[in-house]
Amino acid sequence: MLDARILKRRRDFTVDVHLKIEPAGSLGLFGASATGKSTVLSCIAGIEQPDGGLIRFGGLQLFPPPLPLHLRPIGYLTQEPNLFPHLTVEHNIAFGLGRHPTAKQNGWLADLRQSLGLANVWSAPAARISGGQARRVALARMLARRPSLVLLDEPFTGLDRQLVRELIEGLLVWKNNIGFTMIVVDHQAHILERLSPHVAVLERGQVIQQGTWEEVHAAPATDLLKKLLDPL
Amino acid sequence: MRRWIRRGGMVAFALTLLYPLTGLFSRVGPWRWDAEVANPTVASIRVSLIWTSAAMLIVVLAGTPVAMYVARTAPKERLWWQSICILSILLPPLALGILLSMAFGPSGWIGRWLDHAGIRMSNSALAFVVTQVYVSIGYYILGAIAAFGSIPPMLEKQAALLGQPPWRVFWRVSFPLARLGLAVAFSVAWVRALGEFGAVVVTAYYPSGMPVQLWVNLQSFGLPAVMPLLLVFLVTALPLPWVAHLLAQRPHA
Repeated sequence: MLDARILKRRRDFTVDVHLKIEPAGSLGLFGASATGKSTVLSCIAGIEQPDGGLIRFGGLQLFPPPLPLHLRPIGYLTQEPNLFPHLTVEHNIAFGLGRHPTAKQNGWLADLRQSLGLANVWSAPAARISGGQARRVALARMLARRPSLVLLDEPFTGLDRQLVRELIEGLLVWKNNIGFTMIVVDHQAHILERLSPHVAVLERGQVIQQGTWEEVHAAPATDLLKKLLDPL
Repeated sequence: MRRWIRRGGMVAFALTLLYPLTGLFSRVGPWRWDAEVANPTVASIRVSLIWTSAAMLIVVLAGTPVAMYVARTAPKERLWWQSICILSILLPPLALGILLSMAFGPSGWIGRWLDHAGIRMSNSALAFVVTQVYVSIGYYILGAIAAFGSIPPMLEKQAALLGQPPWRVFWRVSFPLARLGLAVAFSVAWVRALGEFGAVVVTAYYPSGMPVQLWVNLQSFGLPAVMPLLLVFLVTALPLPWVAHLLAQRPHA
């Protein structure tokens, strides 16, 4: 179970949220731009340090004190694929598996290569592949380590609908296989709805509404949320 | 046409820049290589190569973590550390040599303690190495800061989140991505240390390295005794920085 109470001062407001997610559960963080959604993920991942609060996941206390990044069983995917440009696609994906992956891990890599359509770029340098391929590789790299907690920070921004659909389908299949807990941040409701039945809505760093998508659609807590949920 | 004129201008500039190298072919009479010249000259080559290598080892071992820290620290703090490194570069070599000999001499804070311990900090191999470290480490650190600074910090954090402890993040991500910049920084420090004369002549006239021996040969025997050592000096000092610089300039390097 993830139990995260996060306090983090930003320039205009303080992020103050308390999230609880059951094991293998998922949650969408929804809201307008600059409401503290990414800060929440960044604090759970350990990229940023909260100013206060308590973050526990499973039997681990992630904060305080801050647990070193390499000891966190977390997969973190952002808009930027952040691939290692000096390595091939294969070595990027196998990066978290150590120097000599086991037979089981190799089978796992083969599955990822197949399901994410990476066979034709498998041996290519990561610096030479397209943006869409890079996103797939970043997803495969994150999944290869079979994380217990997956944090997705608008990983589909700027991608065409077909690719977004493929990545979401792939992600859901792997979520079922691995059974990880997942938090997804996006400002597009239809993407979040595909990935998680539950949502927490943030405004100026506070959770203003939490529940299922049906509940939020039925009675949006604020006018701004109502506008955000309206289709264009 | 204009392009050819510009290119011609560049050729003229390059020839002017390289012109001093024609001095190697000057008529200075037969080069001297008798025992009187050869013995101290060979000894100076040995001193320079061995003790400059030792100094470079210290520069890399101490300078790399320092550069890594400075590159990843907040901009305000980085400015302070960088200004200290620049200060060590800006000091005129002769002035640095005099300061070193006073600071590490019997009247200096650390020098007094070293003197009690029987450690000689002038005209010794240790003095030679310490001086070379002081004259070159600033160049290495500033180059290494730029090399590490060019790596997006998120790559290192992503590597850590993939389960890699800090030292493996360094070897698998930071070092490979910074290696060409580090090679350039190292080669600049190497050539700076190997060619150091002003500071070394004050702190370690003995054992004489190549620059000091060049000076001694010139003063004692004239140009014919200088030429063989000059050639060796150019061959040992130039290729490393030259190749490192060319590699670093490659597209997508």
